[in-house]
Amino acid sequence: MANFRLQGTRVLAVDLAGDAVKAKNGAMVAYDGEMTFKKMTGGGEGLRGLVTRRITGESMAVMEVRGHGTCYFADRATEINLVRLDGGKLFVEASNLLVTEPSLRTGTTFTGLRGASQGNGLFTTTVEGTGQAAIMSDGPAIVLRVSAQTPLVVDPGAYVAHTGGLRQQLQTAVGWRTLVGEGSGESFQLRFEGEGLVYVQPSERVTVGGQL
Amino acid sequence: MPFTRINSKMVEAAVVPGQRVFSQRGAMLAYRGRVAFTPSITGGQGGVMSMIGRRVANEATPLMTVEGSGSAMFGHGGHHIHTVDLTGETLYVEADRLLAFDGSLRQGTMFMGSQGGVMGVIRGQVTGQGLFTTTLAGKGSVAFMAHGGVVELPITASGPVHVDPQAYVAHRGDVRNRLTAALGWREMVGRGSGEAFQLELSGNGTVYVQASEEKL
Repeated sequence: MANFRLQGTRVLAVDLAGDAVKAKNGAMVAYDGEMTFKKMTGGGEGLRGLVTRRITGESMAVMEVRGHGTCYFADRATEINLVRLDGGKLFVEASNLLVTEPSLRTGTTFTGLRGASQGNGLFTTTVEGTGQAAIMSDGPAIVLRVSAQTPLVVDPGAYVAHTGGLRQQLQTAVGWRTLVGEGSGESFQLRFEGEGLVYVQPSERVTVGGQL
Repeated sequence: MPFTRINSKMVEAAVVPGQRVFSQRGAMLAYRGRVAFTPSITGGQGGVMSMIGRRVANEATPLMTVEGSGSAMFGHGGHHIHTVDLTGETLYVEADRLLAFDGSLRQGTMFMGSQGGVMGVIRGQVTGQGLFTTTLAGKGSVAFMAHGGVVELPITASGPVHVDPQAYVAHRGDVRNRLTAALGWREMVGRGSGEAFQLELSGNGTVYVQASEEKL
């Protein structure tokens, strides 16, 4: 089993003993021991994966890292968060997914209008199964719990990932003020309902919603 | 005189009469006591000949001399700063990553092409770093910059450490470095893993790797 260890908050060390992990293309910064790097195709495996990749544009460039030793991963000095999945499903933008254990399956889901407002496209990557995944955030992410009594509203630009049985819905507050450029800058919001966890970063990507 | 870390992006250097500290020009953030900052025309240690060497090698980042009595705080561009206390060994670091160092250290430049032959020459091209690197040897402290903090990986006789050339920051000790290529036809048709080149460091020492593949 691959062992994930955080070295500080921005470097992930993965101990491998002949097994493999899937990682974002080019995210290796160092290794000791013997490692091989093989390009893979993201967005799901097989013919169905190929078709969805073509259609969705959620074409994550992934590589398989296999070997004996320790491999270190980092990407643009972003903070790394470890997520343990026990049969659940993680929704994350492809650009925020750093490393996953081989036991986890990755795929693509339709997110509707939400993606468009985030500037991330209409599709998002899903990670499913049992094992560990490392996701990235711009600044240390906070994990917010959503329960039936307490729905959560997040800025689309600050949303990173979520797990659990959550329904998400884009809500708009575009009024005449927005149109004349006097809006609050919070015209689009993501509303989560159900039971689960949402990862929120202390930074906002440039989104269509952010400009309104 | 060891540098004191104030936080991840600021260090404080004690300034003692009779001892010089060199720092990248303009990197002073604050100081206490009576401290004078003068541009170092020769760009550091070793007089005019060393200066010419550094100019030729393109390792001549503008430096200033810090003298007096008190302490000075340094930082630059919000980059993460790492401090190293040398006890006789040599530190290899790019000149533009150097923030400050003790005047007691011997400064030099090294032609990286001399290690690893042709691949040594290619190394500079691949990493975006020059063919030369700055060396600091002796006893004293050095503060250098990295994008997003560094991890220190030990290099031991048991096996080499491989580093992404873009994430490589500095190394110290008795270390040989060699650029290795994993170029296959996949890389040529643009379907590579993105890890086509690696720096292989072997020997005894430490390599500093930053959490990013971006230059400063």
